[in-house]
Amino acid sequence: MIIEFAIMAVIVLSTILALMQKDLMKAVIIIGFQGLGLAFLYQRLLAADVAITQAILGSALIPGLMIVTILKTRRMQE
Amino acid sequence: MSADAVQLWSFVTAGFLIIVGLYAIILMDNMVKKIIGMMLIGDGVNLVLITEGFRPGAIVPIISEKLYDLGVNGLYQEFASEASNSLPYALVLTNIVIGASTLAVLLGISIKLYQRYHTLSVNEIFKEDSE
Repeated sequence: MIIEFAIMAVIVLSTILALMQKDLMKAVIIIGFQGLGLAFLYQRLLAADVAITQAILGSALIPGLMIVTILKTRRMQE
Repeated sequence: MSADAVQLWSFVTAGFLIIVGLYAIILMDNMVKKIIGMMLIGDGVNLVLITEGFRPGAIVPIISEKLYDLGVNGLYQEFASEASNSLPYALVLTNIVIGASTLAVLLGISIKLYQRYHTLSVNEIFKEDSE
C-alpha cells in the first residue's frame, strides 16, 4: 500500500516538474520517468500485460521520438 | 479500507493527469508541451480504465502453474470469481499503442511546422499567419 502511494507521488511530481521546465530536453526526460511510474502502477493494479507495453512505450519509445523532434527543431522554449 | 484507498487515490491521480493535460493543451504556448499534454490525457483515461478492472484482494487473471488446477481442471467459476476483470486490460493495451502512433504523427507534423515557420510557439505562428 505504501508502494502504490509512493508511485502515485512520483507520477504527480514528475508531471508538474516536466511542465515547469523551460528546457524541452529536461521535460522529455522527466516525462520518461512519469511513463515508468505509470508502468509500475499498472503492475501493482494487477495488469501485468499492460505494464510491459507501457514500460517499453512510455519510458523508451515516446521520449526517443520527442528527442528526435527536439533535435530537429529548437531546444529552448521561447 | 486500505485496499479501497489505493483504488480511490488511483482515481484521483487519473483525474489529476487529465486536468493537468487540459491545462497544458489550452494554456501552454509551445507545441511540444501541447503534445505532452495530449499524452497526459491519454494516460489519465488509461489509468481510469485499469482502476475500473482492479479489485482489492483479487489475483492476476493469468493461469500460472500454481493456479492450473483451479483454472483448468477445477471449476472455472471459482477462478473467475477470484481474478480481477481482464476485459479493460485488453482494451487499454490497444489504446496505448494507438496513442503512441498518434503521438508520432503529431511530432512529425510539428517538425514540418518548424521548417515552414521557424518557430514552435503557437502565438508566433498565428501572428505570422495573420500578416
